[in-house]
Formats: sequence, C-alpha cells, structure tokens
Amino acid sequence: MSNQGAVTLGPQTEAIITVTIGATVPTGFEHTAADEVKEKIGVEARISRDRGRIYFQITTDQLFQVHLLRSVDNLFVVVDEYEHYQFKDTKEETLLDLQQLASKLPWTNALEVWKLNNSLKKKRSRRKGGNGTKVKPDSEAMDAGMAEAEQQQPPQPLSSESQAKEESTPELETIAQEPEESAPEAKLIKFRVTCSRAGDKHSFSSNEAARDFGGAVQEFFQWKADMTKFDIEVLLNIHNQEVVIGIALTEESLHRRTITHFGPTTLRSTLCYGMLRLCKPQASDIILDPMCGTGAIPLEGALEFHNSFYIAGDNNDMAVSRTLNNICHIQKRREDKGSVPGLRIDTVQWDLCHLPVRTSSVDIIVTDMPFGKRMGSKKKNWDLYPSCLREMARVCRPGSGKAVLLTQDKKCFSKALSRMGGLWRKLHTVWVNVGGLHAAVYLLKRTGAMFGQTPEDVHEPQGMANTPEDEK
Amino acid sequence: MKLLTHNMLTSHVKGVTKGYPLLIKATEVKVNEVEFNPEFVSRMIPKLEWSALVQAAEGLGHLHELPAELTPDYEKNEEFLKKAHRVLLEVEVIEGCLQCPESGREFPISRGIPNMLLNEDEV
Repeated sequence: MSNQGAVTLGPQTEAIITVTIGATVPTGFEHTAADEVKEKIGVEARISRDRGRIYFQITTDQLFQVHLLRSVDNLFVVVDEYEHYQFKDTKEETLLDLQQLASKLPWTNALEVWKLNNSLKKKRSRRKGGNGTKVKPDSEAMDAGMAEAEQQQPPQPLSSESQAKEESTPELETIAQEPEESAPEAKLIKFRVTCSRAGDKHSFSSNEAARDFGGAVQEFFQWKADMTKFDIEVLLNIHNQEVVIGIALTEESLHRRTITHFGPTTLRSTLCYGMLRLCKPQASDIILDPMCGTGAIPLEGALEFHNSFYIAGDNNDMAVSRTLNNICHIQKRREDKGSVPGLRIDTVQWDLCHLPVRTSSVDIIVTDMPFGKRMGSKKKNWDLYPSCLREMARVCRPGSGKAVLLTQDKKCFSKALSRMGGLWRKLHTVWVNVGGLHAAVYLLKRTGAMFGQTPEDVHEPQGMANTPEDEK
Repeated sequence: MKLLTHNMLTSHVKGVTKGYPLLIKATEVKVNEVEFNPEFVSRMIPKLEWSALVQAAEGLGHLHELPAELTPDYEKNEEFLKKAHRVLLEVEVIEGCLQCPESGREFPISRGIPNMLLNEDEV
C-alpha cells in the first residue's frame, strides 16, 4: 500500500499537500491520543498494530496544530508504508531489496513537509536554528544506521533549568508560510537512519537494515551520513510484516516540556496528559494529586484542562519545593509571553494517609503511586496502599468522584482494591510502560456509599501482613 | 495558598471534631492575576463553605464587598462572580500560619505552601 500525497494548490503560492503523520505515544494511551487528534485536528487516527504508534492524515496547513498535541512524544511524516511487506528468503536478498527500495520511494511530499517543519521550528524555538559547532563526521560513512527498538525512552532524571525546551502556545504564533531561506540543494544535507525492528521472522538485524538502507539513501540523494549532527532523520520501522518509512519531525522527545525541576521519578508529560484525559476533568472539578512529586500531573492539568482546580500535595520537603519551582517557572514564562500568568493550582505539604481535606469534597484524584522499585518498597506498599485507598475514598465525592492511579505494583494494588469494593469500583485498566517498567493505570469510580458506613472504613484497615510479598 | 484551597483544608489533629475552618494568621499576602472564567466560579460556589470563605477574606482585609450571603441568581451576576473569582483564586497567603480552631495547633505557611504534617503523637 503506497501513500501518494494528493497535491492541491491553495490560495498561497505554496501547494497544500495531504500527508500521513505518524506519532509515538505512551503505550497504552493510543486511544486517548487518537481522541485528542480527533478533538484538535478533526481527523480520525488509526492505531497501529505496533504499540505506541498512531497515524493520521493532515493537510500541511495543519502541521502547526499537530505540534500542539499533548499526548504525543514524537512526530514523523510517513514517506511510505507497507502493511504486508514481502521480505525475501535470505538475508542477502532482503537487504539488497531494502537498498533498492530507497530509490523507489515517494520522497517528495515527505521532504516538503520536512522543510515546512523546519521553518516552523525556527519560529518556535528561542535558540538560533540549526546545530552549533560542526562535529567531524564519523569516518565510517556507511554506518548510517542505529538503534534496536527502544521507542519509549525513560525520562531523563537530571536537568537544569536551561534545558527546558520552549514551546509555543496558541496565542503566541501566527505562522506565515515563508519560502525556505536556502534550498537543500545549496548546502550539504546530513542525515542518519534510525531503524526499529520487532518480530521473530526477520533474517536481518535492525543495524544491518539501517546500514544498507542508509547506504542506498546516501547514494540516491548524495547526502552525508552523520550520526549526531544530522539535518534529516530517516526512520525505518519494521514491525513483523508492517514496514513504515518516515522522516522525523521532532528532534527529541517532547516529554520534557513542562517540568524544569526534576525529581527521581518525574513522569513525562505525555503520560500525565494521558492520565488526565482518561478521567475527563470537567469545569470546576477539584482535582487532587496527593503524592505529586515534582507536580508533573497537576501542572499538566492546570495547563491543558485549565477549567478545573488542582491541589498538588506531598509529604516530602524537596517534592513540594520542586513543585512550587515548576509552577513558578511556568507562570513566569506565561508572563513573559504576555499571557495572564496565574494558574489554577496550589501546593500543600501533607501526609496522604491523613489528608487535611474535608470529607467528600474532591472530584478527582489523579496520582502516580510509589512503585516499590524506584521509590518506596514492596513491603511498604502492602501497608500503604490500603491506607491510601481508604483516605482517598474519604475525601472523594461519593457517586461522582473518580480516581486515576498509576502503579507498578499491580498485585498489591489489586489486592488492596478488592477489599474496598464498598467504596471503589474499577472502571478501566490501561497497561503502560514507564521507563521500562510494566505498570498499570487504574480508572476508579467512587461508589455512592457515604464514608464511615461500609465495613472497610469503620475499622482501621489491617495491613496485609499475613500475605507477605518478597521485596524485589 | 489560595482561599479556594483554604476552603477545602481542615485540621486533622487527633481527637479534634471541629477542625474547620482553619483560622488564617497571615504575615504576607499577595494578589496574583488569574484569568476570569465565570462558569468556573459559578460552578465552584456550591462546592464551597461560603461563610468560611467570607470569614477568611475578611480576616485578610480582602473582602471588598463580597456578600456574606449568596443571593439567588448569583450565577448570572457578573459583578459578583468577578469578586468571588478574586477572593478564591487571586488572593494568596504567602507567609503565616493556619490555626486549628479547636486545639490551637498552628500549621506554618511558607512560600505559599501550608505544611499540614502532624507529629507522631498528634496523629
């Protein structure tokens, strides 16, 4: 199946073309991402069999809006895609086939989009466009490939304030489509190929595919291979029989957008956004994050679902301090851009098992619960989870309240939840991948039962000590 | 600490039954602009303890003619909603403390963050 873009001439001198955009999203949140695309771009997104990817068609005048999506980590424009690629029998033949593929692909439209995207980036970024110092290219010029699949990068734990990537807000930019200052032919283009391969029936490795395909691309375009300072990143995604060739539109994961003061377990904002979207915040909802860490979730909420009110809380001094710093940073940035700075968010230092919050006053609780590997311990979770769930049930509004809880300790959580049937009902589970760990996001509904009347909450919860769990 | 947050907070010192509302003792108060959304305010009001809000605003000297009682049809009264918006979201206690009305226990507020942690013997 080939993707030939339709070319129509718009009112401007530049043609408006239709292309397919691919986006990587946190695995498990493909549907919420597709939802956001439908809402903000107005098109149906297709969810790939390759987990963590969605595809949708746009016209190039919509490219700017695509960059504003909050549930996507990385974007690329599809050059071509094959649902059932016929790989040859031997490795040699397969690799030769991939080499020959390079010159047959419909590159034109994708490259136009890449060019357009560059001009958008230049306007968005506060930094000067392009790379700084020229780095001596790798002497093995044929080594244009990279990467066995690891599409979901764990969040970078350390970051200084200056690394915060500036991104545009809708009120700032009105992008006029300007012609490129210098046509690509005028200067030497540097590129690399990134291949991700999954499936057990392939006769080749991702490195081999990247290398050979990359070599053919280099031949065809006369570009220069450069692993680190590249202008164009060509993506070769092979998932069983599905082959997608694309050109990257984002240079690094968008996930470091809101947080500048990181903590040890800061969640990337695409995951925060996905969790929030799952609970559908309504106007004037009171939303608590009782274990907020650096405040990633409530901050994302205050920005993206800004008609609700967020209270970020944690017991840890550093956590509340970082949360406050992150909030202040965002508010300052808004002020600098001429927006009204204040966000509907507040920070409190508290103990989540003894929340200083009125009973039945909270509409939504959304939080990342301690994993036991990165924070806390499995043994502690056995005691913590029941107390947590109980206290959260107390403050949550009966009948209408909801909770969205992320945890890696699914066994412990399920057990704790099963004893809370009178207060919480599980609506939905999303299986996610957080920094390489298999975790789950549980969407819970608060039952109509008033707190203090169900057997679970009349007595203090027993710790689950009679079913000990080995600490991993 | 915004007054909307204050409206939700309660003392949870052991044995206390009337821990709400917490008394505010402020040494530094700021007013920060937040974008006005009338729907947000009107839908929030039923979730609040109105008298506690009025009392808190008054104590800070930021009452500014906010009525002590809610009038019917307040949802459509933009003047009123704007005043409520200001008191709920724009007035912030930066330094001071919150005091439990029953036990007298004080919870410090620093950089706008109330510290509600209890000591082990208070839990």
